[in-house]
Amino acid sequence: MDLSILAAGQNPDGGWSYRSGGSATEPTALALLAFAAGGEGRSRVFLRGAEWLRGTQRPDGGWAPRPNVDRSTWVTSLALLVPIDTLGSRREAAVQWLVRASGRETSWVQRLRTSLTQGRAKFGGGAGFAWFPDTSAWVTPTCFGILALRKAARLYPLREIPARCSSACEFLLAHACRDGGWNYGSGDPLGYESASYPETTGQVLLALHGTPPEQLSRALERASKDVRQCRSLEATSWLKLGLVAHGLKLPLCRQPKGNGSIPETSLAIVADAAAGGRNVFLE
Amino acid sequence: MLAGCSARQHHTPAQVSVVRAPGYDQTLYQTVRRMLDEHRLAIKGKRVVLKPNLVEFDSFTTINTHPLLVHAAFEAFRALGAADVRIAEGPGHRRITLDLAEEAGYFATFRSFDNAFTDLNLDEVTPVDILRPKSKLRSLYLPITVRDCDLLVSMPKMKTHHWAGATLSMKNLFGVVPGGVYGWPKNILHWAGIHESIADLYSLFPRTFAIVDGIIGMEGNGPIQGAPKHAGVLIAGGDLAAVDATCCRIMGIDPAKVTYLQLAAGGRVSPVDIQQIGESLHSVRADFALLPSFAPLRLSS
Repeated sequence: MDLSILAAGQNPDGGWSYRSGGSATEPTALALLAFAAGGEGRSRVFLRGAEWLRGTQRPDGGWAPRPNVDRSTWVTSLALLVPIDTLGSRREAAVQWLVRASGRETSWVQRLRTSLTQGRAKFGGGAGFAWFPDTSAWVTPTCFGILALRKAARLYPLREIPARCSSACEFLLAHACRDGGWNYGSGDPLGYESASYPETTGQVLLALHGTPPEQLSRALERASKDVRQCRSLEATSWLKLGLVAHGLKLPLCRQPKGNGSIPETSLAIVADAAAGGRNVFLE
Repeated sequence: MLAGCSARQHHTPAQVSVVRAPGYDQTLYQTVRRMLDEHRLAIKGKRVVLKPNLVEFDSFTTINTHPLLVHAAFEAFRALGAADVRIAEGPGHRRITLDLAEEAGYFATFRSFDNAFTDLNLDEVTPVDILRPKSKLRSLYLPITVRDCDLLVSMPKMKTHHWAGATLSMKNLFGVVPGGVYGWPKNILHWAGIHESIADLYSLFPRTFAIVDGIIGMEGNGPIQGAPKHAGVLIAGGDLAAVDATCCRIMGIDPAKVTYLQLAAGGRVSPVDIQQIGESLHSVRADFALLPSFAPLRLSS
């Protein structure tokens, strides 16, 4: 994978689409991360993409998935992960938006309702991040929320950030599947075992960078096994990022054939750079 | 003239086909073509979107709409003169849709599957108001691929569902709600009320058709962790509520007790409101095992 593929896919407005069509926040943010990982964080392509991202930030500080969607959502975390000097003076507004976000089930009203209607109190388990406002927290947006706030804390050491990240990490650890990995966030629906996915296992390991390895031994073992046999390029990239974040040497594995989407191409570049010693998610 | 998926047209009475289909083999192509001919759909020059059910892949069970059935429908609509036939889905758990489609056998069945496929989760979207909502939703962002098509063909797997009772052609519409906006899963629908959301989505797509994969469905703890159930049928029709009611009767479920059906269609799914073509319900009835909490939904003999 090389950056020329991404450069060729940049839209006239400076952003990137998922495959074709209008620009969207997620593929644009991931493409910018790929350029940063490839050492081209000052190129004209990068600067045009950064301008698109700055120009689509919403008044409340967050980002919508697409410019025509009228809500700020989880993609705010992705925007905050691009290199620190990309977003200019409105970065702090985005950090404030993210610090305040959480899953709907963590509100005191909802927890009280749960304990009254289901006869059980559930006050532990941490507070994750939701995909969309006023909905429950799930694994992937929680991973990106943690990564984004930790990066933000280097520039804006807001008092709330450490506790918010700690609670989000608790959420992830509480939502593991019985096989040691993670899926979208439901490890035990209706009391039955639910299998993990390689891509979400990789994302969680990346987000839990710094967690004592003994807490993650089963997950790391699972990821090391999955990366050898994974047939998805995107999932393999996440597994690599997760393993490298914990200092593990990557086993020999073949690079799966991709489907050519911008996020997949971007992640492959970022993962290769991480394997070579530069992990832009953790910078 | 078909004026786009947003134009309401009426089907009175609702015509539903029940056809025996013992397996996933080449006879499906002729079977599906005959079903479409029976319904006299005006397809020439139209844009058709086939929406199968892709959720998770497990080689030991039958979660997803079988790719051979989808291919049979694809070829049938093309043969009927459709200007464009696309396959489109927005899975609710896993984000990497093409990987899921490959695991489920779609790439092996279709030549250039990715050229014919749209990931509805990542499609461009447009806001749509819900005019008479049953749920707490007032509007949804929906993919332009399904808003702009002339006919949306819901192709679910015939399954029980651990929250809705059954998941059929109407619940299959959850897959058109874009994860790129609302996430994986599309939790906004759960918070708004599952039954109510199904009814609201049904109201947003009046120009629809359904072909239900009931050859091997799922019983018990559907829609993922249940057991395969051979019913040996395909069900098709232009009114999704009538199709779902018919499927329920085949599965041994009383549609009068399925909340989403009552919300969406009220009394319009009783046997007298449905013109049945093909096999009698009695001859194909194959009671699907139900979770204990859904025992009250059992249809009496």
